[in-house]
Amino acid sequence: MIGFFISGDEVRIKKTGETTVSLEMYDGRRFENLEPIRLFPVSGITKYISLTDETGKEIAIIRDLDRLMPDSAEAIRACLASYYIVPKIKKILSRVEKYGNITWTVETDRGNHSFSILNTSIDIKTLYDGRILIRDSNDNRYEIEDVHKLDKESLGFLKFDM
Amino acid sequence: MELVLPLENKKITDENILKRLKTELSEGERELFRITTDLLPDGNYGEPLVTFTDGRIISVYPSGEGTEAVTVSYSELDGLSIKRMYGNAFLMAIMKSGEKVSLARATYAVTALFNAAVLFVDKVVSGTSTDDAIGGVETAYRGFCTVCPKCGRNLVRPGADCLNCASKGKLVSKLAKYVKPEIKAIILSVAMSVMITALSLVPPYVTKMLVDDIIPDKNKKMLYIIVAFLFGTYLVQYLLSAVRGALLRRAGDSIVADLRNDVFEKAQHLPMKFYDKTSTGSVINRISSDTNNLQAFILRITQEVVTQLFLLIGIVVIMITMNWKLSLLSLIPVPFVVYASRKFGRKIRPFYRRIWRKWTAVSSVLTDSIPCIRVIKSFSGEKRASKRLEKQNEEWLKVSVRAGRMSSIFTAAVSFVIVCGSLIIWNVGGLEVIEGKSGISLGLLVSFISYTSMFYGPVNFFAGLNDSYQSALTSAERVMDILDAEPEHDDGKGNIPQRLQGKVEFRHVSFSFDKTKNVLSDINLTIEPGEAVGIVGTTGSGKTTLINLFLRFYDNYDGQILLDGQDIKTLDMSWFRSRIGYVQQEAMMFSDTIFNNIAYGKPNASIEEVLKAADIANAHEFILRHPDAYDTVLGERGVGLSGGERQRISIARAILNNPGVLIFDEATSAVDSETEKLIQDAINNLVKGRTTLMIAHRLSTLKQADKIVVIDKGRILEFGTPDELMAKKGKYYRLVKIQSMAESVTRDKEREHLE
Repeated sequence: MIGFFISGDEVRIKKTGETTVSLEMYDGRRFENLEPIRLFPVSGITKYISLTDETGKEIAIIRDLDRLMPDSAEAIRACLASYYIVPKIKKILSRVEKYGNITWTVETDRGNHSFSILNTSIDIKTLYDGRILIRDSNDNRYEIEDVHKLDKESLGFLKFDM
Repeated sequence: MELVLPLENKKITDENILKRLKTELSEGERELFRITTDLLPDGNYGEPLVTFTDGRIISVYPSGEGTEAVTVSYSELDGLSIKRMYGNAFLMAIMKSGEKVSLARATYAVTALFNAAVLFVDKVVSGTSTDDAIGGVETAYRGFCTVCPKCGRNLVRPGADCLNCASKGKLVSKLAKYVKPEIKAIILSVAMSVMITALSLVPPYVTKMLVDDIIPDKNKKMLYIIVAFLFGTYLVQYLLSAVRGALLRRAGDSIVADLRNDVFEKAQHLPMKFYDKTSTGSVINRISSDTNNLQAFILRITQEVVTQLFLLIGIVVIMITMNWKLSLLSLIPVPFVVYASRKFGRKIRPFYRRIWRKWTAVSSVLTDSIPCIRVIKSFSGEKRASKRLEKQNEEWLKVSVRAGRMSSIFTAAVSFVIVCGSLIIWNVGGLEVIEGKSGISLGLLVSFISYTSMFYGPVNFFAGLNDSYQSALTSAERVMDILDAEPEHDDGKGNIPQRLQGKVEFRHVSFSFDKTKNVLSDINLTIEPGEAVGIVGTTGSGKTTLINLFLRFYDNYDGQILLDGQDIKTLDMSWFRSRIGYVQQEAMMFSDTIFNNIAYGKPNASIEEVLKAADIANAHEFILRHPDAYDTVLGERGVGLSGGERQRISIARAILNNPGVLIFDEATSAVDSETEKLIQDAINNLVKGRTTLMIAHRLSTLKQADKIVVIDKGRILEFGTPDELMAKKGKYYRLVKIQSMAESVTRDKEREHLE
């Protein structure tokens, strides 16, 4: 069953764990140990955040994070940041192709990392706003926030797989 | 097998971690396995470590300048669990107090090892000694290798052998099996192609004689002889190549046919586990196109390499014996051509891949929209669909045009260089001919030039050989993955009981697909011969899995399933399955006649048996209404059957064998209530006297059931006669109440409409 919708400042949300929050409604109802999950992890980063309890049952849906009170939004953002690890690629340091196996070494906001891409046609997606989403062979996700801001060398590597 | 402890997935590079680990380990404590993860607790990349010793778990991670450590001993533990998030997961320790402690964090690259750790700790907590429990972990570590540790190639599946690093002899010996029957043809055709090559070396040489002696001497008789000789040479050369072509085609086709047969046959006997992991499309691809690639490669290796090598050596030898100085000159463009063709190959390949990718995008629009044409039309999406195709097509066009430009520039450039090379020879050689000093004649020069141009064929061939080897290797790997895969276990082959009574027992059966979450836990169930048992539960509760285990689609479960007191694993598999009539939720039909579709499980069934089966299944009547009746070919010229009709045919198919046990997996879920009644009648005809398992969503279909099992989250919640369960007022009671309420609402609505 779909939870109730939260549109704005009718709730107060506090972070209670690594990925959990507590929810207090203006009418006094309280929910503990809710886990924020994105309904649209790819296309809607700040919109339609589902809050589910420990059993996986949805309690509420936040329509838009930006409309919450700043503290509440911050709590949700912190949880999401921990739950969803999608490193932002700042720079592609190298691209090695050997035996049909493509390995990228990249610099991200979470440090340097190497990963391999299985199928470039499926695993690299360009969105209209210049974002590029990448999925590696282990189903980890990466993101290039704005392809136009990449340096020339990285673009050169990227072009091989686009 | 001796294990080298501790098992490691990666060598630790951070000295601080190792130092801290040493101080944490106590005297005599033995490390069993280490997991080096790739995420720090804060979600940044790093290389923390969690190690499992014989007494406890130690997790060490860098923190600020120093390191932190968390230790938990097995005796305090209730078990481990994995909290899977998005792009990362936590390994959590569940303490006896109920408290949860996070031990390690990792991206999905490492979580497979977390699974192994969870299983390990489960075993240790339940009393298994650590040395026994480590066995499963070791397999996980081996399976963890998704890339070849030696050469870094991606493997077909984790833990597979790397064909590139396996001895080449292994691949050769595997392929030799397919080459063997054709070995005579292949050797013959190699011999022929060597002869053809030799013959093709003749004409330029003869040109020399023509230019130098015969024409200047006005020797008409010799001219006729030479022309006749050349005629003969050409005749033999082309005759031979025609014969060789036919021979080779036959050999190649037989090889690919053999391979395809073997792969297909093997694919039939692969366990369902294999199909769960591999998409059917990819299996089909392996059977159809990978076998072709492989065959092409076998022929290439056995034929081309030999002839091209022969050609290369032949030309070089002839050129050197003619004139070594000119030969050296003619080699000048070679490094350039080899370099350029390799460089160009590397440059153009991404382009071809891009073209291919854009083309897949185009064709995916096609395969998406044509079958969905009804949806498109009914939502007036024609314009949108065309737009989509146009857009993809345009991208394809752009890339293809660019690739075309590149490749034509390249070929032109290379030919230009080769021509320039021949200009050098014309120049140097021409001068020598004019000066007449070094004995180079005009004829020699002319024939030399023709040899030079022939020379680049083999050069290009060898420059590109490695690439085609690599791509063939990938195909070989995919084919071998099927050929080498372990087939379903059939340990009880030949064990065919005399009579089948149909007593089915599940004893402590537990099962999980991926070893993380049990789909079925401790199922105990006894079904007496002739009993009809309904299986009830919400979606995902494990009903179908229960049936799949009974049909022996999976055999890696714990516990025992027995038929008439014998473990089903010890029975002959094909006998066992033939004694079960199985009607699936979705009735699958072959594109064959209705008759053959019914008779699929019993190909030698008599006509009347089939008619009877169709009649019991309430199918006879509607089959009659087709003009071709039992000869109606399904799927041809729009002959389709409705869902209910297909279902009844599949019921007829299931009962033709007179099975001892009948299984219906939601046989009536996709049909209207009138058809449901027909099917239900058909089922009722059958059930009498046969052990029957019926999965049903609509509880009304279970009226005839002697007993009902309610399954929830993989466990048996309730078991008993319908009346007992109703009296118990548990889950079954609630389900019945909900459904009868919904049904009465529907009835009311229908009544309103009628009024």
